[in-house]
Amino acid sequence: MNVRTFLVGVVGMSALVAAGASAQEMTERFIPIGQSPGLSGKHTVIGKIQAVNARDQTVAIVAPAGAWNAKVTDRTKIWLDRSSLRQPNLKGTFADLRPGATVEVKPEGRQAGASGGPAEWIKVQVSASP
Amino acid sequence: MYKRAAMIGVLVISLAGIGLSGCKMAPPPDRQSQLIAKGRDLFFNETFAGNGRTCGTCHPAENNFTIDAAFIATLPKDNPLFVAEFNPALKENFENPALMREFGLIQENLDGFDDLKNKFVMRGVPHVLALRTSVQSPAGPRTGWSGDGAPGDGSLRSFATGAVIQHFTKTLNRVPGVDFRLPTDEELDAMEAFQLSLGRQQDLVLPLRLKGTVPKRGQAIFLDNKLGKCNLCHVNAGATANFGGGTLGNANFNTGVEDLPDQPARLTGKAVPRDDGFRSPGDRTFNVPPLVEAADSGPFFHNNAIETIEGAVAFYDGDSFNNSPAGAALKKADPRGVGIELDGTQIVAIAAFLRVINTLENIRQSIELLEASRAAAASEEKRRNLDRVIRETQDSIRVLEGGGLHPDAVAHLQEARRQTEKAARSVFFSRKHTGEAIREQKAARAFLAE
Repeated sequence: MNVRTFLVGVVGMSALVAAGASAQEMTERFIPIGQSPGLSGKHTVIGKIQAVNARDQTVAIVAPAGAWNAKVTDRTKIWLDRSSLRQPNLKGTFADLRPGATVEVKPEGRQAGASGGPAEWIKVQVSASP
Repeated sequence: MYKRAAMIGVLVISLAGIGLSGCKMAPPPDRQSQLIAKGRDLFFNETFAGNGRTCGTCHPAENNFTIDAAFIATLPKDNPLFVAEFNPALKENFENPALMREFGLIQENLDGFDDLKNKFVMRGVPHVLALRTSVQSPAGPRTGWSGDGAPGDGSLRSFATGAVIQHFTKTLNRVPGVDFRLPTDEELDAMEAFQLSLGRQQDLVLPLRLKGTVPKRGQAIFLDNKLGKCNLCHVNAGATANFGGGTLGNANFNTGVEDLPDQPARLTGKAVPRDDGFRSPGDRTFNVPPLVEAADSGPFFHNNAIETIEGAVAFYDGDSFNNSPAGAALKKADPRGVGIELDGTQIVAIAAFLRVINTLENIRQSIELLEASRAAAASEEKRRNLDRVIRETQDSIRVLEGGGLHPDAVAHLQEARRQTEKAARSVFFSRKHTGEAIREQKAARAFLAE
């Protein structure tokens, strides 16, 4: 294996090395808002939806740390957190994002300090009707 | 009669004195030790208000923190591992008891919980040894077979939360506070500390000065980037990759394991969907496991497809690997255009090397545990350490004998086991037998490596 072919191999093999975040999304769905280990309170935004823009697929959130604009992409997972009702959490859709709802948003990557961006997942709290 | 009774009394007091003189006062545990002890207790005893399973159900200390069909066969029918066999709420779509009992496979819903009947994968249980050396990568922590085993931040600390949701639930609704409770931050801290304390804390530095002819040749092939090529992805027989441009940490590769023909679980005719590995939908890559711990913790690969260490090495000589993306990259980098091409003797030699380094690690751990048992203040801790030494030593014997390796070392390991058993039984001479066991372990090690 000479240097050149080795480098070709290095490049080839490196392309196979999966990069990026490695959290397991499927069990995340069952974790109530604010309880995601290592994320909630550090790398997520928890607040109330102030406005929804269906055309842009964006959601404006008011959080204690300030306003945050979440972009919903085709990669974004939306889950309905019904744990306070002692009911199983469900998959949701953009239509479940309504003003006034409490949500937790995980931005793609770790964009601490940014004022918005694509969301990796959004949990929407579902409470009992008053 | 009084004289006889008095003599017996003196004898008893003297023996007790010998026993007591052998006991050293252990220093009070530091904060980290306390955290590890708390994590151990949680790992083995905490059910998180779920179906009765604990982390130790699938990662028992007495079986190298993993389970296989042979171990499973020793468990009673009401062991919580078999919860799908006696809990009606978990009878369907939670586990496949037949595949669990025959191949040690566990059901997981890594691509979602929306279609439990059809969307699942069957995976073996990876051991949790040497995690300090095998989880980190520049792209973040890699946990589980496909590197994405933990929710939240994907860290080892968060892993338990996902495991509780997947494996501990009372019903398939998986409602926190109803079907289980989620671990608290303090519990996650403790369980992470415990898991990180298990096994090797650092990688080997190869080559070792091995004494056996065949293992020595196996090590040379392992390290030869033109022949075995093993060290590219398993640097120092660990779980990190390095292709010459610096460490890539713990990485994922598509090595074609899913393309193996005649996979045992699929031969049963039961539905075993293809496992697409990392992420959802998956990219077909799987995580690199450490090899030092391999020889006594099979079956091998994420799907328990291969039972023996020789078979696991032979996999890399086969079509499934050499036609995979990882195999193709090796071919491209090879002046002869071959991926990995080994003959039978070379496969056995690499396996012999892996058997020997596994035994060396078992001996290292055994000596550490024997020394810890001598210093242990609590009899329970001493007993637990000695029990593990007995298991580790049995593994060492099995691993060497299985490869026809080092009968001289095996004889010393058998004596080490006997001495450890005596130490576990003895009230007054435990320290003496423990010391003998340490000497025998060291004598065995001297036959394996300089």
